[in-house]
Amino acid sequence: MLPLSLLSAAQNKPMLVELKNGETFNGHLVNCDNFMNITLREVYQTSADGDRFWKLKECYIRGSTIKYLRVPDQLLDVVKEDQLRAREANRTTRGGPPGRGGRGAPPRGRGAPRAAPRGGGRGRGRG
Amino acid sequence: MADRGRGFSRGRGAPGPGRGGGRPPPSSSEPNKNKREAILDLSKYVNERIRVKFTGGREVTGILKGYDQLLNLVVDEVEEVVNEPAPSHTRSLGLAVLRGPTVTLVSPVDGSEEIANPFLAQE
Amino acid sequence: MSSLQGYVDHRVLLVLQDGRSIVGVLAGFDQKANVVLSDSKERVYSLEEGVEEIPLGLYLVKGDMIVLIGEIDDAVDSSVDLSTIRAEPIPPIRY
Repeated sequence: MLPLSLLSAAQNKPMLVELKNGETFNGHLVNCDNFMNITLREVYQTSADGDRFWKLKECYIRGSTIKYLRVPDQLLDVVKEDQLRAREANRTTRGGPPGRGGRGAPPRGRGAPRAAPRGGGRGRGRG
Repeated sequence: MADRGRGFSRGRGAPGPGRGGGRPPPSSSEPNKNKREAILDLSKYVNERIRVKFTGGREVTGILKGYDQLLNLVVDEVEEVVNEPAPSHTRSLGLAVLRGPTVTLVSPVDGSEEIANPFLAQE
Repeated sequence: MSSLQGYVDHRVLLVLQDGRSIVGVLAGFDQKANVVLSDSKERVYSLEEGVEEIPLGLYLVKGDMIVLIGEIDDAVDSSVDLSTIRAEPIPPIRY
């Protein structure tokens, strides 16, 4: 499961974000992008030393400054189900219109299947 | 350069409709997954006071006048919040361009306030 | 990076640049070694008392903060009584 799939599934869910400087932000995820830049609403900000607090209506956080995000446990199952459903849909629409076919191709690129049989040679060499 | 910056700033400063011209509209074929559009709509903050934090820990507030996709900001009536040495104070910087790549946090000042520990109550 | 694939669905230990140790099940990762951990717990080490485990749940850790990812041998790990372990906490990386 890709970290970014989890993050996009976390939209409108509460989360805790800690920045590299130790500040934390508790709020609901409004939006995110591929850089992991995020926007939160109804935010409680805590200083790095943990003794000052602010309430922010909303905020934007640059992804590169984030240390980690803590998200609701239930999301794991949600994302896994979504992936299963997507994979299923992919299988049934295979060989459809070429435009989508190109993007649907991932059965191979989607990580898991590729890494197992081929990883031995290529993957290790690079890592 | 200066001309570009200024024209740009003015263009962005214009309310709502002005924005359409600056950037191509999101294509309808955009996959729902790839977020190429900016996730922060700065137009709603134009002529409002925002708080901006930078890598390295500096922090300013100011009135947003203009911006671009890279998060470069044109901000007026800038007040730097100086937290160190200890007694927190401010200094006035006037009109400034804030470099997007160094910006780590943007939030509106309106609706934000320092509060007592909100997590004690919940436990 | 593809070597992380072998850790998926296994319990792993993460050491972060701030010195934290987190154990959890590796649920996913990407090219930048951003990592999803489920059922994760922070292990807090100290010289005064045994190791304290703080439940953290589902965690997404940015790859650039990660110093180490190691697979945990469940048999060995569960044979250790954490409450008897005294160890200095890992200090954060300083630049």
